[in-house]
Amino acid sequence: MTRLALRTLPVALLALSASMVRADDIPNNTFRIGEYWVFYHAYADNLSGPFVPSDLNLSVKNVQTPYLAYLRRLSTHFTLELAFGIPPLTKTYGKGPATIGSVPYNGVEISSARWLAPSLLMNYVFLDDTYKLRPYFGVGLNYVVLFDRNSTAAGNAAAGGPTSISLSNSIGPAVILGLNYQITRNWSVIASYSASRVQSQLDAHTGGVDRTSNISFGPQTLVVAAGFSF
Amino acid sequence: MYRLRGSLGVALAAALLTGCGSDSPTSAPAVSTAPGTLATSPPLRIASADAATFNSQLGANAAGAQLLKLTGAPACGIDFYYIKFWTTGAANEMTESSGALMVPTGAAPACSGPRPILLYAHGTQFEQAFNIADPTAFTTTNTEGALIAAMFAAQGYIVVAPNYAGYDISTLGYHPFLNATQQSGEMIDALTAARAALPATFAASTTDSGKLFITGYSEGGFVAMATQRALDAAGKPPAAAAPMSGPYALEALFDAVITGNVDIGSTLFTPLVTTSYQHAYGNIYSATTDFYSATYATGIDKLMPTTLTPYTQLFEKGLLPELALFDSITPTVTVPGDPTLSTQLTDLLAIPSNPANPFTPVFAAGFGNPYLINNSVRVNYTLDAAQDPDGTAMGGATLAAAAPVYPLRVALYKNDMRNGSWAPSSPTLLCGGEKDPTVFFSVDTGTMAAFWGALPPGLVSVLDVDPAGGPAGTFAPIQAGFQASQMQEFEFLQSAAGGGLTAAAAQQALLQSYHGSSVPPFCALAARLFFSNF
Repeated sequence: MTRLALRTLPVALLALSASMVRADDIPNNTFRIGEYWVFYHAYADNLSGPFVPSDLNLSVKNVQTPYLAYLRRLSTHFTLELAFGIPPLTKTYGKGPATIGSVPYNGVEISSARWLAPSLLMNYVFLDDTYKLRPYFGVGLNYVVLFDRNSTAAGNAAAGGPTSISLSNSIGPAVILGLNYQITRNWSVIASYSASRVQSQLDAHTGGVDRTSNISFGPQTLVVAAGFSF
Repeated sequence: MYRLRGSLGVALAAALLTGCGSDSPTSAPAVSTAPGTLATSPPLRIASADAATFNSQLGANAAGAQLLKLTGAPACGIDFYYIKFWTTGAANEMTESSGALMVPTGAAPACSGPRPILLYAHGTQFEQAFNIADPTAFTTTNTEGALIAAMFAAQGYIVVAPNYAGYDISTLGYHPFLNATQQSGEMIDALTAARAALPATFAASTTDSGKLFITGYSEGGFVAMATQRALDAAGKPPAAAAPMSGPYALEALFDAVITGNVDIGSTLFTPLVTTSYQHAYGNIYSATTDFYSATYATGIDKLMPTTLTPYTQLFEKGLLPELALFDSITPTVTVPGDPTLSTQLTDLLAIPSNPANPFTPVFAAGFGNPYLINNSVRVNYTLDAAQDPDGTAMGGATLAAAAPVYPLRVALYKNDMRNGSWAPSSPTLLCGGEKDPTVFFSVDTGTMAAFWGALPPGLVSVLDVDPAGGPAGTFAPIQAGFQASQMQEFEFLQSAAGGGLTAAAAQQALLQSYHGSSVPPFCALAARLFFSNF
């Protein structure tokens, strides 16, 4: 371990010290575009309500979507970041018994929805503007808006009829860790990892009957993006 | 009754990732609240099971397996729907009610396409939350739903069965118990709503053939007969009907009970009766203490059906006596100027003690202290019955020759199925068991059979599943099956595994389950066989 650190340190130092950009020449605005890998880490209580058998749950498949962000440089060390992904089509699958009665359930695509989840983050950027490679971390808030919900035919069959669903919008904390590499004055690339917390209560309405579940998401995302500053 | 274990039910197949509103359409609530309007369309399908799945899930439970032996293996799958519809209470109050719509499914000809509708009226339920549509409760509180599913829906009948106003989602606040007008109206409202729901179901290829059968058990037997009468009056008679073990001759039945023949379950039935008729006619009592003993009078007008689960908490909490309908102190009846009649009536109200009557222990158990009903009620009712006797007391089957005056008896008279000149216009089977200690077979089924004795042969037939003379006739196999099952249970109760009861105790135990558990599946099977003729 010690030998590895000794060997990699000179490389890092070289990279960090390679920038010769003057602080007053740093653009204040940056747009980023890249790719967003979302790992939902969704946890839902077993579904409850009239006529719901025990041990019925749901799972959500991870998605990948384009990433967009705007950053405003506030100072050498602080930037304000507004980030979001192009709302991904997220699919929900039944989790539990293979069938409910004779209706397939486990692993069946139940529904789909798109969600817009902008995050507003205050980032602290380590080192100063003379360094090309700068790590950063940030904290902020994540706001989730869900739309374009569709219960699939299989979902309706499992629920017992056409189903409408509501889930209150959610606001929760978010944190981010990342690395920014400044290629030129205007161009950069970044990689980041972020996590947020989303909690809400699901209400599903089918044939005059309501069912609910408390849902907790812990979405974790990986982002690789290019940035243009001006 | 029959309990089956299974995971029938529904998923909340909810989209996990959804928003504050909803983009998917769902069932639409009805704008109209006219009686018979389907309140939500399409209705909720609670569960769907193909024939094999239903068979395996029902058979996984011992009682369910026993039921399957009687019903035969399911020929069809079943989609279980929960319908909500509008109806009216006893005083024309609008109320939402609910019930079951069971739709047969499957490729077999008997399971799709035009199918007959079976309109079913369930027996008395004491818990307000009862829902006959709920297959997830087939093993617990909805064994009657399991019975009709296996007996009828799985054999190709579209089953419609309301929960009755006052139960489940109904906010009526009471149940119009044994109210012929309200209950028949609600049955027809449920039928209308179910017919509207049918095309919107998943099994839309199963359609109404236009052939209607009516049946029901206990309270539901009464309701089935009242519905048959109402449909006759509307010029839409059913293809056939099979009321089972119902209290049809209400006046005669209560005359018998009041004079000491205390039926099993009477402390639960009585508040249902008085509350129902108080709402309908307003004169059963001025205050509940007029009718009920001070021990139980407070709040008894809102007690039934109960929100307590299980309902036996009513006894544990001291809200009702479990057995003691009447005061163990016999009241003295005085008929001015007629000491002989006074003595006869007083003797009539004494605790039954005839050792030759196998029902005597059951009847005698209905006396005690604290008791439910004041002696003054018994005395006044009995005086009315003496003044204006029911036809059965005179050796016939007609109603009283002149109108009674005691309010409760007037209410019973109004709802007695002998009231009016109606006789069935469709083939009718009356089924029951002659040892029934809850709804007395001879007083109810026997009376109606005699009342309609002059009808053309074959129009009304009677089946006693437990004939003293042994099995005979068309339904002999059912009678033999019933009596064999009774004997088997009798022997089991005397075995070590069954508790090692004495013969006498085992006989009393059999009586306890006779009406509620033993007779229903055999009469339901008889009804199905009867309907297959039309």
